[in-house]
Amino acid sequence: MSHQAYASHDPVKEPHSVSVKVLRLSQPSLVTQYPVDPPFSPPTTKSQPAPASLAYKSASNTNPDPFLLSPILNLPVSFGSAYVGETFSCTLCANNDLPPDAAKRIRDVRIEAEMKTPGLGGTQKLELGPANIHGATPAGGVDLEPGGTLQRIVGFDLKEEGNHVLAVTVSYSEATETSGRTRTFRKLYQFICKASLIVRTKVSALEPSANSSSYRKWVLEAQLENCSEDVIQLEKVVLDVEEGLGYQDCNWLSDGDKKPVLHPGEIEQVCFLVQEKGADADGGLRLTTDGRLIFGVLGIGWRGEMGCRGFLSTGKLGARIAAR
Amino acid sequence: MSDLLSTPPQDQGHRRNKASITRATRPRSSTKGPLDADNGLLTSPAASASQLSPTLMSPARSPSNTAHPRQAPPSPTPQLGEARPKDFAFLLQPEIYHPLNLQNIPPAFRNSQKQPGPEVPIDQLLAKGHFRAAAIAAAQELTGSVINGSSIDPHDANRIFRLLYTRLACLTLIDATSLAAQEAKALEDLNDPRRYIDDITNEHLAPWELRVLHVRLQALGFGDPRRAVMSYHDLAREARENIRKASLAHDNSARELWKSRLHELGIKVAGALIEMDDLSGAAHHLGSLRDRGDGKLALSKALLWLHLGDTRNAKLCASQCSEDTENVEKIILALCDMADSNYELALQKWQEFDIMAVDEMVGVNQAVCLIYLGRIQEGRTILEKLVDSGLSSHTLLFNLSTTYELCSERNRLLKGRLSEKVANMEESPFGWEKTNADFKL
Repeated sequence: MSHQAYASHDPVKEPHSVSVKVLRLSQPSLVTQYPVDPPFSPPTTKSQPAPASLAYKSASNTNPDPFLLSPILNLPVSFGSAYVGETFSCTLCANNDLPPDAAKRIRDVRIEAEMKTPGLGGTQKLELGPANIHGATPAGGVDLEPGGTLQRIVGFDLKEEGNHVLAVTVSYSEATETSGRTRTFRKLYQFICKASLIVRTKVSALEPSANSSSYRKWVLEAQLENCSEDVIQLEKVVLDVEEGLGYQDCNWLSDGDKKPVLHPGEIEQVCFLVQEKGADADGGLRLTTDGRLIFGVLGIGWRGEMGCRGFLSTGKLGARIAAR
Repeated sequence: MSDLLSTPPQDQGHRRNKASITRATRPRSSTKGPLDADNGLLTSPAASASQLSPTLMSPARSPSNTAHPRQAPPSPTPQLGEARPKDFAFLLQPEIYHPLNLQNIPPAFRNSQKQPGPEVPIDQLLAKGHFRAAAIAAAQELTGSVINGSSIDPHDANRIFRLLYTRLACLTLIDATSLAAQEAKALEDLNDPRRYIDDITNEHLAPWELRVLHVRLQALGFGDPRRAVMSYHDLAREARENIRKASLAHDNSARELWKSRLHELGIKVAGALIEMDDLSGAAHHLGSLRDRGDGKLALSKALLWLHLGDTRNAKLCASQCSEDTENVEKIILALCDMADSNYELALQKWQEFDIMAVDEMVGVNQAVCLIYLGRIQEGRTILEKLVDSGLSSHTLLFNLSTTYELCSERNRLLKGRLSEKVANMEESPFGWEKTNADFKL
């Protein structure tokens, strides 16, 4: 995440007394450890691993050594990659950086945040959480002692590929014994959002079998390709069908199979059987003006490392209906 | 992905020679030791999945072993007539051992009074957690530049390997594992009987812990993580053979020793699979291991599911915990809440842990929850208290340094002060000296 500072609309040339710091709150990660036997240990008994090779110190034996993963959690190390379908979460901290003996006082600190997206949507104002701490609502200002921090958290569902800009505006009033003034600054954080899953679909009509009713059936197949750099596990694929249609899931949920794990570049093929519900043919089904039957949308949910969630849905899927 | 475990041993050799595919291929023998006799064991996936489970290792349950008891020791093929002590002069070359960089040590440690002098013996250095100094001393002793005592005898396998293990293990403890992987290359093939098997006793001359560590270092050195999976299986075969021998000799303590080594190898295979991103293979493998009732396996499985993002399966592991391992169940459920972004619930669970029992993990995870809940000041206080109580894991220091970065423009000052505080801590086997990376300096 690259960033730029804007000292917008602030005629004062002095450095600001308040700083803003951000950290993307992707999921915290389980810390890995490589337990080794201590050097100089006796050869005839199994020694406990060298304490320095364990991820943390525990008196209650909570460490699953010699296993690689340990239950202690690390805060995110870097920004990482942002993917469509994920929720972007970020913490914003406004800090009073004045020394404890400063004559100035910092009052009414406020943080605002907006996200600029690549599409036509332009800029969206972001809600700031948590709801109510420091005895103030997120909208209201907070007074900060020297060394004090106002922390806010924003969340944003990433829906588009491309350049995103998180704009953070901090305003505060700086008061001395005799005077006071309001100051504002703005910082921009830019990042690229990438595609996580490529979905390719195909619809084919099933020939009505001799003994079945006259309800028409289609097979909807979709290939889900993991085009991110992370391993993901597919959680669910669901079809949100239009009225008058029903569907049968032919995938892992239907037969209690394991949820598929997709490595980068791997593809999972899913399949649904879509069928007419209504008795009166064509009666309940709406066709588009160019003679297409809309099935509905396909939604795909997945989880990544340490439970990182992703969800995306396709556009409306459908098939051209041959005139009967 | 479990086919990795069932790879026929023919593939165990190096894959350097692609051209050889066109010719009739002879299995390379370089990584095969005298203990590879029982090749058939690795061919069926079902057998391989359960191989590392100690329960299946007693000869009574293993028909292939009872049918063909391998009483006669496999004969290595020393080309020259009589048995001679092995010469390890090739491990004493100074060019093997890299100088250790001081650049990544914060000044608070570099200039501390606690830095040991060159006269301190290695065992004391280890006891006080001076691993960098111990690694240096071990290399100096190996290369003969040490002042006290005579230079090292190239036939003294015991001393050479003890020093070499100290060197490599210490490098992994000071965040210099890649250097250790480079230096471990000097050992070449530890399975080479002509080099490493004693002609008279037929024992492997390198200590077990060195052979286990060498597996990971070699895989790193060659950039081939799958090699580790196979090498651990090789060692497992040897451990199983030793369990059988100990059982026959009614040597209970040896039997227990080898059983615990075998169990450890099983867990390490899972780790190696995770490192090669074969998470489902690792899960399948862990599922084949026997739980020892201490809750460690349940926790390991749950952590793997969480790593993959599958909280449902992780919760299943929690539900299988017995009453004795109630803590494990609580840990898993709290981590599941965090993976599901229910930080409020997770925080409550962490807070329920007994605060009297010192557990760095519980404190650190509680602080992480608070930061995700927008209560960074409280999180910071908890982390600082942990440091004040004498704890200093990499994770604790990293998280606290990250918190400082968020809380102040002048975070370098705070991180520097933290490094001074840690440098003033009591020396212990937990390790005293830290690196710049620990403090994000």
